[in-house]
Amino acid sequence: MKLLIYGLVTGIAFGFLLQKGRVLRYDKQLGALRLIDMTIVKFMFSSVLVAMVGIYLLVELGQVELDIKKTILGGNIVGGLLFGIGWGFLGYCPGTAVGAVGEGRWDALWGIAGMLVGAALFAEAFPLLQRTVLTWGDFGKITVPQALGVSPWLVIPVFIAGGLLLFWFLEKKNL
Amino acid sequence: MNFKPGHDADGGWNPYLAGALSGLVSILSVWLVGKFLGASTTFVRAAGMLEGLVAPERVRSLEYFVKTAPKIDWQWMFVVGIFLGALMSAVTSGSFRWRALPDMWEERFGAHSRSRRALYAFGGGTVAMFGARMADG
Repeated sequence: MKLLIYGLVTGIAFGFLLQKGRVLRYDKQLGALRLIDMTIVKFMFSSVLVAMVGIYLLVELGQVELDIKKTILGGNIVGGLLFGIGWGFLGYCPGTAVGAVGEGRWDALWGIAGMLVGAALFAEAFPLLQRTVLTWGDFGKITVPQALGVSPWLVIPVFIAGGLLLFWFLEKKNL
Repeated sequence: MNFKPGHDADGGWNPYLAGALSGLVSILSVWLVGKFLGASTTFVRAAGMLEGLVAPERVRSLEYFVKTAPKIDWQWMFVVGIFLGALMSAVTSGSFRWRALPDMWEERFGAHSRSRRALYAFGGGTVAMFGARMADG
């Protein structure tokens, strides 16, 4: 019960910030895919950079453990391509579709219905996929620092520098 | 760049600021509750709950619904919270508005394209979620 309340409170904070960041919009999401408005890229990269530093600090302090998903090239690549095509048609990702309804964009309801159907279809296809696509290029649970065989604190500054360089470029080009 | 909240007519904030704050929310969640943020697993649970209303046997027989059980958990409530948080932010900043069509869409397809929008959004959602689950994201 306590866990459910934590979930709700965290979601409220996150949804509030998504709305403030103006990312719950088809126009912003398609804007990024069309390379004409990078608002969601700025939001996402800022979020990732801050969380990356904070969570690795907590790992270092022994406060938390990473929850790493498996890298399976077949699933990541084929799934990623399918996600991209679907996202281009829908104009919302799963979390932002729910948030978009919260600011009155009810076309996202069609997307939510579609995503529920997509999840049900995936459950049907799972046994077949598990024997095929999800066996192609299985690298297990690895991180970038592990794959490179270096400390995370070498990789993190590179990601931060890359992110800041991207932000500088986006501002310069007025995207 | 404008870092002052509430500067614009829609009450929006600088995307870097809002994004960085959402990163802090993410850190706090992992630290205090041990939960990483995510949304798409909830669509599997919700789909299992809905399908369970019409075909409970089918849902019980599918390995994927055994692995990702149709129940309300932390992330399910997180997704409900996203809706509520967005609603609160939109209402309190006066930017809440019922909209059937996105502006960019309407420019391209016109005001009488609601059925097409429904079809594209539904089909896109179906493909996107199938892909998201395949990539385990």
